[in-house]
Amino acid sequence: MAKLVLSMNGSVLGNYFLEKERFSFGRKPTCDIQINDQGVSKEHAVILTVGNDQILEDLGSTNGTLVNGEKVQRHILQNGDVIEVGRYKLRYVNAKAMPDMDFDKTLMIPAFDRTKLKQEGADKDEADTQGIATAVANARNVKTIFPLGAVRGISGDNTGQEIELSRSITAFGKPDNSAIITRRPVGYFITHVAGKKHPVVNGKAIGDDPFPLDNLDQIEVGPDKLQFYLK
Amino acid sequence: MKLKNALTIASATDAGLVRNFNEDSVAANEDLGLVVLADGMGGYKAGDVASGMATMIIGNELKEHLGKGVDKSNGVDLETELLRTAITRANQAIYHAAHNKTQFQGMGTTVVATLFRDNVVTIAHAGDSRLYRLRGGQFDQLTVDHSLLQEQVQLGLISSEDARVSHNRNLVTRALGVTQTIAVDVRQERAQVGDIYLLCSDGLNDMVDDADIELAMRSIRENIPLLVRQLVMMANDNGGHDNISVAAIKVEKPFPLRAGFFSRWFGAHV
Repeated sequence: MAKLVLSMNGSVLGNYFLEKERFSFGRKPTCDIQINDQGVSKEHAVILTVGNDQILEDLGSTNGTLVNGEKVQRHILQNGDVIEVGRYKLRYVNAKAMPDMDFDKTLMIPAFDRTKLKQEGADKDEADTQGIATAVANARNVKTIFPLGAVRGISGDNTGQEIELSRSITAFGKPDNSAIITRRPVGYFITHVAGKKHPVVNGKAIGDDPFPLDNLDQIEVGPDKLQFYLK
Repeated sequence: MKLKNALTIASATDAGLVRNFNEDSVAANEDLGLVVLADGMGGYKAGDVASGMATMIIGNELKEHLGKGVDKSNGVDLETELLRTAITRANQAIYHAAHNKTQFQGMGTTVVATLFRDNVVTIAHAGDSRLYRLRGGQFDQLTVDHSLLQEQVQLGLISSEDARVSHNRNLVTRALGVTQTIAVDVRQERAQVGDIYLLCSDGLNDMVDDADIELAMRSIRENIPLLVRQLVMMANDNGGHDNISVAAIKVEKPFPLRAGFFSRWFGAHV
């Protein structure tokens, strides 16, 4: 169960469990947390619970709502977030709400009641049906402690040029004779893609499996010669 | 033109690095031009039963009906009907199994299926398994997830950028075997030579950014088996939190139903 820890100037004033689908705070007595502070609006903000998400939403307050020091309109709460309204702080505690470790088993739930959520101020038309990016934040770039690699063209198409291998895959050669260099957490690998001739590393043709590259390896893809190095 | 010669199909499925079991199933039938991918859930190993039933039943249903050489005059949406019916049957069978055997209680599965026939690809899905397409320079997601996360974005509760930090990625709003009836999204697209279609379970797109999926499809157009292996590897390199399944289909040649006969799509568009 998620909770909010209310504090001011470092002293804890109370703990509140987010048991309601719509949990509000503001100056009004009807709010779930009443905060008597001139810097807080009557109905300052709400926290909506949708599935496993708890979404903080500012209700157009005069002085705004901060999360971890930044002004937000809507924000999916993460464990440890600190919400600031006026002089008060609300720390969000929910061990399950971690940005990168949210891989519970898949569950089926019914589509939720749109009419109810519409009233909560959702403002977008549901006809908007675009795909969304769900990859976890740490999947965006290859997490690697490995130094950045590059190749320099020795002969052929890329002679004299440096090509940085910063993306997860870099392709070389022509459609009928090609290879890729992949950037992985453990290092760089070259893999044969197409063509009768496999890439050659230090004079030796590689097989079908990804082949690990070492600093200063000489690579041949078709007629092109390249040197691999770590920066 | 035999479908087998017009399409290159490859698939891979992997338990990932965290889960003990692989509850995904992938099945491809080159003669039918059918690829089905399912991501099972629920119970001790029962997810595997559900996804396996889905791929098997859908394959068998289509084999039976397409094999009869159904007359096209039944209507242009023959494939749509067949695929929808096959998925409906699979839903019923899984639902009954889940309700009649305690060890299967609560099982269900997503499904995404593609049927390549007469220069057209028919796409059906329920749940959050996806279909992407690379066509020339254009990369698109052709399915819209049936998930709480997708609904949250569509309702404007969160922005699509915020989807990455949502905790609802595991909540699907449609799945086979959970309710007596199932709403299946089906659409048709004209296939073009050079198109690459990619079916995947969320173990791929939750771990590998769309931009990297696109990059892999662009870089490895000429080797479809390598493409699927590479994507599974990338998902595992990024953590492999879930089962990972990938199937890719490349259209190498046109595949009209009757050679020498103007296909309906050619006729309709020229």
